[in-house]
Amino acid sequence: MIAGLVQILLFQGIGEIVAKFFLPLIPGPVIGLVLLVAWLQVRGKVPESVDFVATAFSQHLGLLFVPAAVGVVMFWPSIRSHAVAVVAALLASVVATMAVTALVLRALAKDDGGAPE
Amino acid sequence: MSPSIPAIQEIWVYLSGSPLLALVLTLSAYHAGVLVYERADRNPLANPVAIAIAIVAAVITLIDMPYAKYFEGAQFVHFLLGTATVALAVPIYKGLAALRGRILPLLAALLAGGATSIASAVGVAKLLGADAAIVGGFYAKSVTAPIAMGVAERINVSPTLTAVFAVTTGILGAVLVRYVLDAVGAKAWWQRGFAVGVAAHGIGTSRAFSVHPEAGTYASLGMGLHGVLGAVLIPLAVRYLPILPAA
Repeated sequence: MIAGLVQILLFQGIGEIVAKFFLPLIPGPVIGLVLLVAWLQVRGKVPESVDFVATAFSQHLGLLFVPAAVGVVMFWPSIRSHAVAVVAALLASVVATMAVTALVLRALAKDDGGAPE
Repeated sequence: MSPSIPAIQEIWVYLSGSPLLALVLTLSAYHAGVLVYERADRNPLANPVAIAIAIVAAVITLIDMPYAKYFEGAQFVHFLLGTATVALAVPIYKGLAALRGRILPLLAALLAGGATSIASAVGVAKLLGADAAIVGGFYAKSVTAPIAMGVAERINVSPTLTAVFAVTTGILGAVLVRYVLDAVGAKAWWQRGFAVGVAAHGIGTSRAFSVHPEAGTYASLGMGLHGVLGAVLIPLAVRYLPILPAA
């Protein structure tokens, strides 16, 4: 487990350094992510320890953004006075996004992959 | 105050001064959220993160704890976001193996979906008179929350609003996906999965996995690709497209 954590932290560190000096517009951890995908491609498999840590993180990913999201208490008055706009924008956007993505796939894909049973 | 209170007050002063209180509060609220979610048969409406946010927000409001004070303690949890983002490389790597030559339609659909996500949210919010701070929170809200918050920092909009809108988007997407995709006649599981992954990231992806494994794999891929491409393209779009005002 520690070996996996060390490797992931190493890629995070490399990502932060690359972001700081070369790509300030992209978040460092995303650069680390891309480099780790590339490294996994080169290795051709996921080391067991890395897989273990990644699974643990992905199972409880939601916990990690609770602290920042709680800051919504400071935006509460603003959100409440624009409640209609916020709800309408979120609803319209998620419906439109799913519909457009699916329609483009349908239009471009030759194979249909089988209908749902 | 009665004479017996000071002892309790002293304990309270000690506790609220250490990071322990915020940490325990965050973890127990999330734990409660997970319990409710499992009780509710993993219904997306009982989302554990939304429940945890509501509990913590209610508690710190009740005990009059300033948000900054809470965050000082909870930052240890927050810090792991970057590490968790890097760890997303593993599901993305596994998803890439499932691509089977569909990369071009998937990328085209992702770009169209990602652009639709931003344009529709920002457009509707502006039309209905939302202020600039709120509109900024919509830019990255279809991207998985850990990446979305990193993007928000880079483009100087609120990571908090971005995270809250991302969680809400995920819940709405997971609830509505069946009706929307039936309405547009998307039948293949891989198409349905990819669409919900692009639009509703992690929450949509767990919904897809609960319906069909192929849908889940493609949802996971959609979420991962949207995360990576969003992190590159959203800051560029905000900087260079005049229709999106840089906040």
